[in-house]
Amino acid sequence: MGSWAKPFTVAVPDADLELLHKKLELATFPDELQDAGWDYGAPLADIKRLTAYWKDSFDWRKAEKAINELPQFTTDIEVDGFGSLNIHFVHQKSKVENAIPLLFVHGWPGQFLEVRKLLPILTAGSPDHPSFHVVAPSLPGFGFSEAPNKPGFGGFQYAEVVNKLMLSLGYDEYAYQGGDMGHIVGVYATNAYGNRHIKAWHTNMPLYRAPTLFSNPLLFLEMLTTPFNKRMQEQLAPAQRFQTKGRGYFLLQSTKPQTLGYSLADSPVGLLAWIYEKLYESVDNYPFTEDEVLEWISIHWFSRAGPAASPRMYYGLTSGNERELFDGTRWTSTPLGVAFFPGEPARLPKSWVHTIGKVVFQSEHDAGGHFAAFEQPAKLAGDLRKMFGKGGPVYGIVPGKDGYA
Amino acid sequence: MAPIVTDSEQPFTLSVPQSDLDFLKKKLELVRFPDELDDAGWNYGVPLSDMRRLVTHWKDKFDWRAAEADINLLPMFTRDVTVDNFGTLNIHYVHQRSEVPNAIPLLFVHGWPGHFLEARKLLSYLSAASPDHPSFHVVAPDLPGFGFSEAPTKRGFAAHQYAEVLNKLMLALGYEEYVYQGGDWGHAIGRHIATIYGHKHLKAWHSNLPIPTKPTLFAHPLAFLRDLLPYSRTTREGLRATAEYRATGMGYLAEQSTKPQTIGYLIADSPVGLLAWIYEKLVEWSDSYPWTDDEVLEWVSIYWFSRAGPAASLRIYYEMAGGSGRLEKGAAKGAKWTSVPLGLSYFPRELFHLPKWWAPTLGKVVYAEEHDEGGHFAAYEQPGALAEDLRRMFGRRGPAYGVVPGKNGYASIGSRREAVNSQ
Repeated sequence: MGSWAKPFTVAVPDADLELLHKKLELATFPDELQDAGWDYGAPLADIKRLTAYWKDSFDWRKAEKAINELPQFTTDIEVDGFGSLNIHFVHQKSKVENAIPLLFVHGWPGQFLEVRKLLPILTAGSPDHPSFHVVAPSLPGFGFSEAPNKPGFGGFQYAEVVNKLMLSLGYDEYAYQGGDMGHIVGVYATNAYGNRHIKAWHTNMPLYRAPTLFSNPLLFLEMLTTPFNKRMQEQLAPAQRFQTKGRGYFLLQSTKPQTLGYSLADSPVGLLAWIYEKLYESVDNYPFTEDEVLEWISIHWFSRAGPAASPRMYYGLTSGNERELFDGTRWTSTPLGVAFFPGEPARLPKSWVHTIGKVVFQSEHDAGGHFAAFEQPAKLAGDLRKMFGKGGPVYGIVPGKDGYA
Repeated sequence: MAPIVTDSEQPFTLSVPQSDLDFLKKKLELVRFPDELDDAGWNYGVPLSDMRRLVTHWKDKFDWRAAEADINLLPMFTRDVTVDNFGTLNIHYVHQRSEVPNAIPLLFVHGWPGHFLEARKLLSYLSAASPDHPSFHVVAPDLPGFGFSEAPTKRGFAAHQYAEVLNKLMLALGYEEYVYQGGDWGHAIGRHIATIYGHKHLKAWHSNLPIPTKPTLFAHPLAFLRDLLPYSRTTREGLRATAEYRATGMGYLAEQSTKPQTIGYLIADSPVGLLAWIYEKLVEWSDSYPWTDDEVLEWVSIYWFSRAGPAASLRIYYEMAGGSGRLEKGAAKGAKWTSVPLGLSYFPRELFHLPKWWAPTLGKVVYAEEHDEGGHFAAYEQPGALAEDLRRMFGRRGPAYGVVPGKNGYASIGSRREAVNSQ
């Protein structure tokens, strides 16, 4: 199945840092229309400011040192039809021996560090709430994991990788948390391994059967004309916004990721703009510092497979926009918790969560957006504690590991 | 109407500063390539081997100065054109006069990712004098934001403004009445010029990318009725190719219609990124045109060295969609059916293949020709064929003969009498 996990240290070669700096020194910017604001994309002032900071002030080695305080490892995972992929992950155990094993899966343009703020909360032991052993991988093609080198790596392959990772660590039964692509992989993973290995799961981006959202505007408009009440119309508005104004990156990455990839690999400014636009637009007024943004972008810039690899996930999941995101999956009975964060741009009517799986827990928050673990770690951890804790709907669902000392 | 600025025409010589050439080389020297999936071919975008080869050629072999010298053999000019609410834009154009004084003034309008050089191969065909075919005075501008024309600096420069600047250019050159040829954005803008300036200034026009709409019973009853019959296999295949393009080929369009600034950073900072972004279209949209590396790099260099930078050219998508992200609706908004004579050429590898009997929804179709070779960049790939279409449309026996009074395109003395006799 896989070799034993080896400890891992992030160590970007000096030559890579030098190349980045040489490129930043030659940074070339477009102009901008007057009063463009954010309407045409990331504003010039923001990109110039961030580029200057990256070039002159951002200390990668300092960030790297802090990242290396996290317990990181790599292990080889065999994927049917794709050979062996070396997978990078954080594995933070709790002092509580019977802590609940929890797999945390990031999305795009996310990365493994999204788990960082959750770790001390989730692994803390207390009689008042359950504790977790947390495993947070870099998905194939992201961060410091290898990328598949053959076409056809789809939803079930990503699910296979993360499931086998948990099994390789001795976690035969575990819980799962994800948003963005982490949610989508969660759908595939519970379809393939639900109840058997994944005993319960939680999502902060509860979408399902989204042809209307992602690829079928006619159906979508039809729905708006049906006699929904105004509140329903309000709930469908974010999806409509995505359809008309927000899906450019999705369609591009689903069809021509390689063409896009040449700019992302060659231009740090381009990569910065491409990702920063998403960070800014998806959070709930999160006050990103320059250091936070640039650390995030740097993970992509210095990623093992290069920044052109991660967009391929969109192509893989949609077979080049020839299939819907969730084709081949269906509703599962694996107990599901959902969190609604007000700033999450990818929203459907709340009642639709029941199409995903057996919803046993719901929470509605008053703050937080798409990157919930990063923006509101306490709220997200609170949900998991309530869901898995004593008195909660899935207390003790992982046999012998209820999370309490 | 605001007065056209006094004759500000200057001859234009392309002369990229040496420092810009040196800077490009420095960037190319620092190139960092991505990897590629096994056997990816063209399925994911431009293949890595093509990019490696082109970048090396651009860095080490491609001779921009030689290309520049050749471009400078073209009769090029700039002049200021004022656009209501947008101030003055300095517009670059080729103006190739025919030796035939009564040649037909023809405005040639490129699209994206095109530029003025798309007209290059047409010039000698169109301006050639002969008793057997009409001759044209050709005006081929760079649209605002493309090539060596200035770009608008304010939001909202859309259909009306593109039409205005082009019409004013022709008037400034003394062409009160003219004809028009365009594809891609040239087609969309042509519709608007016909709507706003049709008959008064635009006497006839031709498109090589006809994007008609589905006929309705009241507007086009015959076409509507025909549409009720089962489609032929050819029509079905054309529609399927169109659907395929819509599913897999329009990511760039969705992005440029909504976030042109974001993409702009990628292609302004990385010549490699720009090369991939454009080269993908040159190959995918043409009919197996045997691009040489020099041709590709000259084409992309125009974008890299463009006056407003490559990011400016993307904004036409956003503005024509009205910021709504819905380009197909937005680009035609305000364009009306007119009786300005319209000619169409159908090239087999063009991106859209809608049923030919839908064409009358675009205007008064007086000429239509089908080709068995050629793609999206018709003027560049098939200049002879396109020129032939224009000659037929505007020639002595053609449906638009003499449409510009006093300028039927022929040198012969008896031409006026023949024009009268043929009516």
